[in-house]
Amino acid sequence: MEHAAPMTVRICHLYPKLFSVAGDRGNLRALISRCAWRGIRSTVTEADVGVVPDFTEADLVLLHGGQDTEMRVAARDLEAKAGPLREAIEGGAVVLAVCAGYQLLGKYYAPADAPPITGIGVLDAVTEGGSTRFIGHIAVASDVGPGGTHSLVGFENHSGRTCLGSGATPLGRVIAGSGNNGQDGTEGARYREVYATYLHGPVLPKNPWLTDHLISRALLHRYGHMGTPDSLACLADQTEAEAHAAALRLAGRPAEKWRAIVAAGKGMAWTSR
Amino acid sequence: MRAIATGQAMPAGRLRLALALAAGKGSGAAVRLLNIGGGTSLPGAVARRIDPLVLKKVASASTIRKAMITGSNGKTTTCRMLAALAQNGGVSVAQNRSGSNLLHGVSTVAVRGADMRGRMDARLLLLEVDEATMRQAVAEVAPDMILVTNIFRDQLDRFGELYSMARMLDAAIETLPPHASVVLNADDPLVASFARHAAARRLYYGLRVADAGAEVPEHAADTIRCVRCLHALAYRRVYMSHLGDYECPGCGSRRPDLDIAVTEVGASPDGGTDATVETPGGIMRVHVPLPGLHNVYNTAAALAGAFALETLDPASAQSALVGLRPAFGRLEEIKADGRLVVLSFVKNPASYNATLRLVLQRPGPKHVLAAHSNTVVDGEDFAWLWDVDLEDLVPDLASLVVSGTRAEEVALRLKYAGADPEEMRVIPGREAALDAALSRVPPDEPLYILAGYTPMREFRRIMQRRGWVPPFWEE
Repeated sequence: MEHAAPMTVRICHLYPKLFSVAGDRGNLRALISRCAWRGIRSTVTEADVGVVPDFTEADLVLLHGGQDTEMRVAARDLEAKAGPLREAIEGGAVVLAVCAGYQLLGKYYAPADAPPITGIGVLDAVTEGGSTRFIGHIAVASDVGPGGTHSLVGFENHSGRTCLGSGATPLGRVIAGSGNNGQDGTEGARYREVYATYLHGPVLPKNPWLTDHLISRALLHRYGHMGTPDSLACLADQTEAEAHAAALRLAGRPAEKWRAIVAAGKGMAWTSR
Repeated sequence: MRAIATGQAMPAGRLRLALALAAGKGSGAAVRLLNIGGGTSLPGAVARRIDPLVLKKVASASTIRKAMITGSNGKTTTCRMLAALAQNGGVSVAQNRSGSNLLHGVSTVAVRGADMRGRMDARLLLLEVDEATMRQAVAEVAPDMILVTNIFRDQLDRFGELYSMARMLDAAIETLPPHASVVLNADDPLVASFARHAAARRLYYGLRVADAGAEVPEHAADTIRCVRCLHALAYRRVYMSHLGDYECPGCGSRRPDLDIAVTEVGASPDGGTDATVETPGGIMRVHVPLPGLHNVYNTAAALAGAFALETLDPASAQSALVGLRPAFGRLEEIKADGRLVVLSFVKNPASYNATLRLVLQRPGPKHVLAAHSNTVVDGEDFAWLWDVDLEDLVPDLASLVVSGTRAEEVALRLKYAGADPEEMRVIPGREAALDAALSRVPPDEPLYILAGYTPMREFRRIMQRRGWVPPFWEE
């Protein structure tokens, strides 16, 4: 489909300063780059604590992860943002939520050793703190987007155990790693155009298919079915494919070997005697 | 009868210690004889196998003073500076000089320096200790002084969360007795919050320089909220990352008063740094042959540590620091068969950004070899590479080779920083990568190696084998 003017994706980046601990701003870079390489423009609005952005002007919202301390600050601040954010989500705006951001879109996060943190409840999900952390490479099979099942790779580092209710569907099934809770084999959550995940890495650069899916859905939100191309232009993705394959290999390493590596690192770090 | 009496004079614990020390020392000698590397941690590992209490026994049997330096960045350089200051004041020092800072490395210093009865004859045991190893190391060594340089995000995959590691480190500091000292970087809000209830004496160091740093924190800053009330901190001055002069508009807490304060900083023509430092012993002017604000912090830390240990002689401190060489892998210049290699060890956004800034200040196009590997030391999670300002490097790139067991990850990061994937070579093997990178560097231009700890050591070992650098334990 031809366009007289170049298309634009309007990105709203929530808490870029507060939630900046795990390299997740790489997600923003992946979105901007993959738009630019196709001649699609992007604008970025940053909204930190105390700022309520105009969510009606956002096609794609990023809500990343942080540590429990920062998460408490964000939860308090989100009370002011929750209403318009909920409306935007019901209106089909795309949201990528990672780790703490994922938990904050759920109903609550109850850490093991501190008072619970209330989420905005867009996702039918609850999270309980665990006594151990899930730390390691993770691979997930996901049916999101066109073209059948894709693999999704990244690195998880969380103590929260998330359980989904009937109102949310998982983003995918765990192939290797822990995912939502280490028990039921699910990872992440979906609701309308909300894509929530525990995967850092950051998740988008290594999974260009997901990046492109988010861009497509954001264009759809902006321009509707009539104004949006059926598919995005292909890009040369060899570097991405190699990084994806390498991450998949790491996630699939024999469990014993992986446990030994973690134990060796931890043994020196944590043993009390 | 006589034999039994001797046996009683040498109880099991002492015998075990002697055996452990003998085996440890033997393994160290064997490693050096065979030139196989790893001599900085094997003796400690062997000795601890035989007597797990070897470090504790040596530390308590000796009259030596014991100091520990920990933190995310600057441990090795601060240790070298503090050792130079102490030695200049006539104090003999035993230390882990090569960054071997886990329990085995720390124990190796004790094994090397002790006689067969577990006594060390050096007067200062100076240990660089990994943050997460501190709890156990403090319990075993019972140090007279702990110095914390800073806490940046570093290997989150290993430590879990920053705050849980910080709490553990603080708990170790709180165990220090009243005669001990805690030396803290006042400019780091998290570090400055330590030792609130400690019995030990507290000393704070930091910068009070009007014309350095910036007014707002850079994005890679880690701890920019008040440790007590979580309100966003207000900075009067930010010197690097989250280090600066801050106060909390929420609860009114602010940077502690500085006992050791750097008040003037200037780059000197030789590429080093001149600084004016106020100490309780008077104002000092020092010159260190190392560039960058991070080395100003290291200098302030070392002076504060020397003051705490009562080995600071303001009159001679100047000459002690002038002779410093960079620690291996810290912008270390290596003559490589007619070319110049500048070897840099980068491990987190703060250290990488500080190094990048220094590299970019140098004139000329940048030939770069970037390498990271996933190991127990280097961690598994390289997401932090996305918080490094590699976008600033790309416009100056003349050639680029990426390497290490996570070469694909490094390549992906650099592609999204703007590097052309067609021009980039991905060569996981270290030796092949080094040769490929060198082959693209014209004779008069330097090759910058930016590498994680393990690949940095590997590159250095390759260059050592070729006779370009001395082995690191001779450093």
